[in-house]
Amino acid sequence: MPALTGQLVVFGFASFVAIAFALLMVVQKTPVRSVLSLVVTFFGLSVLAILLAAPFIAALQIFVYAGAILVLFLFVIMLLNLKEEAADKDDRPVQRTLGLLVALGLGGLLAGATLRAPVPPRGSPVGGPIPMPDEIPALGRLLFSNYLLAFEVLSLLLLVAAVGALLLSKRRFE
Amino acid sequence: MTGVLPGVAPMAVPAGAFLVVATLLFAIGLAGALLKRNALSIFLSIELMMNAVNLLFLTYARMRGDLAGQMIVFFVIAVAAAEAAVGLAIFVALFRAHRTVDVDKIALLKW
Repeated sequence: MPALTGQLVVFGFASFVAIAFALLMVVQKTPVRSVLSLVVTFFGLSVLAILLAAPFIAALQIFVYAGAILVLFLFVIMLLNLKEEAADKDDRPVQRTLGLLVALGLGGLLAGATLRAPVPPRGSPVGGPIPMPDEIPALGRLLFSNYLLAFEVLSLLLLVAAVGALLLSKRRFE
Repeated sequence: MTGVLPGVAPMAVPAGAFLVVATLLFAIGLAGALLKRNALSIFLSIELMMNAVNLLFLTYARMRGDLAGQMIVFFVIAVAAAEAAVGLAIFVALFRAHRTVDVDKIALLKW
């Protein structure tokens, strides 16, 4: 089964890249480098989304996350002229170790819980290759039938967020 | 409109592997959010955590053959965009007022 092993290789590479650059993002001291590492992580995540038969979400991930949100981050970092994070001269080892412990503990707990959670299969996920062109119309129909109200509320939310961001970043309130 | 994926091939990669990757990414994001002091870096870590949860949603959508999971990811991404715009605007305003985005130095509401 060459196709299946190919998917395994792609999965291994993409998840390795995603996790490695996520770690790099946390370790980096400069915010700009953190953002750029996160961009690579998002590309890996979008490859994983394609493996999960979600090409629309994969494209959205790159357009919205890597393309819009992280560029916004870069603009703000340049605007604020942030240099390196203030060096660890007043380092707080207790806080640091506690934070690491909490992250590791919760990570392990969640891994155990997700691996043990039963997921009853629904529908019939069998047979045939992945029908890429059929799936996006199905998503669109779902969006405009079952999730129509949520979609409209979302558009209102985006409008409010845009106005709010403008108002917040104005020089003075009047 | 049930939103069942039409005839998707069986998964070549075991679903548990996706779940482990998503959980690892979430833990890394949590570590970043707890350990960083720069508000922007904390915000970035939170974005990473959201993406880990998105991956989890996509995995479950694939396991169940149900498009509802992908729909939720769509909404999460859109809300994340709104959140990023407002959050970054708050950081800009904060920087104007205090000349710093170090969360240790910004303790207006703390005590």
